[in-house]
Amino acid sequence: METFKTLIVILLSSVFVNNYVLARFLGICPFLGVSKKIDQATGMGVSVTVVMLLATAVTWPIQHFLLDPFGLGYMQTLVFILVIASLVQMVEILLKRFSPALHKGLGVYLPLITTNCAVLGVSINNITDGYNFVESVVSSLGCGLGFLLAMVLFSGIRSRIDESKVPVPFRGLAVTLIAASFISLSFMGFAGIVDALFA
Amino acid sequence: MKNDNLSVFTKGIIKENPVFVLVLGTCPTIATTTNLIGAFGMGISALLVLLCSNILISLLRKIIPDNVRIPCYIVIIAGFVTIVQMIVHAYFPELYEMLGVYLALITVNCIILGRAEMFASKNSVGKSALDGLGMGLGFTLALCAMAFIREVFGAASFAGVPIAFLENYKIEFLVKAPGGMLVYGLLIALVCVITHGKAPRKKQFSCEGCPSAEHCHSGICANTENKKEDK
Amino acid sequence: MKNSIKSTLVLICVCAFITAALAVTNSITAPIIAKNEEAAANDALLQVLPDGKNFEKLDITTYSLPATVTEAYKAESGGYVLKLETSGYAAGLVIMCGVDAEGKVAGTVILSSGETPSIGGVAADTLAGALVGKDAAGIDGVDTISGATKTTGAYRAAVKDALNAAIILGGGDVDIRTEEEILNDNLSASLPAADGKFTKLFITEVITGIDAIYKADNGKGAVCVVGEQFIALDENYNVITEVDAELASTVKEQAEKALTSTAEDIDLGKYTGLPSALLSAKLTASGNYVLEMRASGYGINGNHYIASGEYIKIRVSMTADGKIIDCLTISQAESKGYGDACADEKFYGQFDGKTQENYGTIDAINGATLTTNGYKTAILRAFESVIILKGGAE
Repeated sequence: METFKTLIVILLSSVFVNNYVLARFLGICPFLGVSKKIDQATGMGVSVTVVMLLATAVTWPIQHFLLDPFGLGYMQTLVFILVIASLVQMVEILLKRFSPALHKGLGVYLPLITTNCAVLGVSINNITDGYNFVESVVSSLGCGLGFLLAMVLFSGIRSRIDESKVPVPFRGLAVTLIAASFISLSFMGFAGIVDALFA
Repeated sequence: MKNDNLSVFTKGIIKENPVFVLVLGTCPTIATTTNLIGAFGMGISALLVLLCSNILISLLRKIIPDNVRIPCYIVIIAGFVTIVQMIVHAYFPELYEMLGVYLALITVNCIILGRAEMFASKNSVGKSALDGLGMGLGFTLALCAMAFIREVFGAASFAGVPIAFLENYKIEFLVKAPGGMLVYGLLIALVCVITHGKAPRKKQFSCEGCPSAEHCHSGICANTENKKEDK
Repeated sequence: MKNSIKSTLVLICVCAFITAALAVTNSITAPIIAKNEEAAANDALLQVLPDGKNFEKLDITTYSLPATVTEAYKAESGGYVLKLETSGYAAGLVIMCGVDAEGKVAGTVILSSGETPSIGGVAADTLAGALVGKDAAGIDGVDTISGATKTTGAYRAAVKDALNAAIILGGGDVDIRTEEEILNDNLSASLPAADGKFTKLFITEVITGIDAIYKADNGKGAVCVVGEQFIALDENYNVITEVDAELASTVKEQAEKALTSTAEDIDLGKYTGLPSALLSAKLTASGNYVLEMRASGYGINGNHYIASGEYIKIRVSMTADGKIIDCLTISQAESKGYGDACADEKFYGQFDGKTQENYGTIDAINGATLTTNGYKTAILRAFESVIILKGGAE
């Protein structure tokens, strides 16, 4: 029961309170770049969630059964980024081979994920936070869903921005960032909520 | 020739400032600019990685085969990041605590892979070093400018030293997450006003600068372009 | 083909080169990082023992320290720093405590506590200041923080453990056993045949001259507590501890009476008007009643939402004229740290010897009025039950 509660707390806080994009600033590039249309935003969000889950499932055992026992903790960044890069490649190849339809939908987002700092960030954070395997997987699921949520919400707002008159210097990224700032502001309202729910 | 080298160096600082003009490396720009010390530390760390990786990649540009160049770049960059990380951990433990995971995340900072792909793999060692230095300085300056605004007005201090007369007028929102995005957005607009919009816009640079450009051409960017033409 | 081999080779070379570079950097920076971390840890130690110099970490497994101690450091300049983690009642409090060369508290700092910041948290800060300069005797004199009895208690106990640990580490000898351990050690000493396992006998006969009887779990006799004395009996109730003949014969007679008491179930269906709190009843051969009662605790009488709705189960033995012989809490699910004290012998032991006239004078459980009231009501129902049972079946 206690473990289940912990897992729920981890999940909810990584979706809302510590949302990777809006509170921790990881994965901002795709957040700004690929959120122009809702279908793109969803595709990117789903792909990131899948890769995050896979990456955590692979990097956690690597850290605890390979790097730590041999005192190779300093290889963490190098090994993790290679794992993520090859994972992304593998997922792409598998999708192409077995599910061309899905590949058509998600394939274009996959290469962008290698350099998405949210994926590497989640893998490293799960280790530094001292989560066990199940907690790590749940945490990365939460981060992925949080990313998806932020992307979808933001794509809705961006479609409005595109249709409105914006002063010239603010056109493009400036107004996008300011809009993102307001979403982030609204997410600050979640702070403390998860703890209070289970107090 | 001399002039040419100078422009390679200076373009990163102003004309092609990676943060405000190319809009690369947004994550650390917002995350590590809550105070000047953190921002400066982050900027210098990224500068070192950029300089070293640019030099090494430029040196190896004729040896590395095209089909494995991205993995090679990633390994080289991740390696230098880890080295910088270890040095910071050993000699500046407080800075290490402050930057946390963002130090490791220099690895996936678009600026570095972008410069490797765009510049170092095509130019001589000297030019690549100058380019790395310029871009790194531009990154550092941009971070410091943002951190200056956020720290002075948000936390009423300058590099950790409290500013007494601002103490009662803190806009604490600025040091929080949304404040970072807001200041960033405003600064981009400001740079745009100063340069009268002459600075290259993100559009012209994003694909060239983006390490995923080659996948991208057949993907998202191309798609949107096509759709626009359809209209 | 040739191309891909070349590519792979180059990639491997790059990886090998970078790995080597990392290994070299690591070998240079790792000692510095370790030294920095040691210095940082040292700072934490200095916080609680400001005069300490050159701390050395001790291997706590080589000493028999109180179980709460998790780390111990010795200062070359005299004094110790101990890291303690409380368990059981008020678990989860982690503190660092510095003990100076004279065995007094030099400083404490809380590393983590599961406390409500507004109550227990404040208590912790106030206490930390109040404890400085105290020795073991002085700790008890520190005022309890109102509203944070539990925290105060846990903190005081932990600091006491730290002082004891410092004495042990200094080569001294100190009794670190808990009350239960002391009792069990005394019992085992007087009856080694029991292998250290005893159960307190629930007494159903009126006995005099014996405070408590502990039966050996393996059936090899029992130990009677008479004041400070522990008197052992073998299987045949013969006194085997050396005491004077008069005491030995009283103890033998009384203990045999208690140990051989038998009782038969009473069919409650034959009686009317029995309270619903009465679960079962037995009548001993000597005419005493043994009743099992249920008491409404906090969950039933008070707040359903934050406490369990389980009854407290009580066993009580009583003479036919309504005087309690023995009382015991069999099971309870009251709030941890509050009402659960009803399972403490210090609470239910108070009912021994009480009658319907004076049972209300017992001390309530601190912070658990509803539990105490529920318990008292169940005892009142027991008195009433005995009167009805005594009246005979219909």
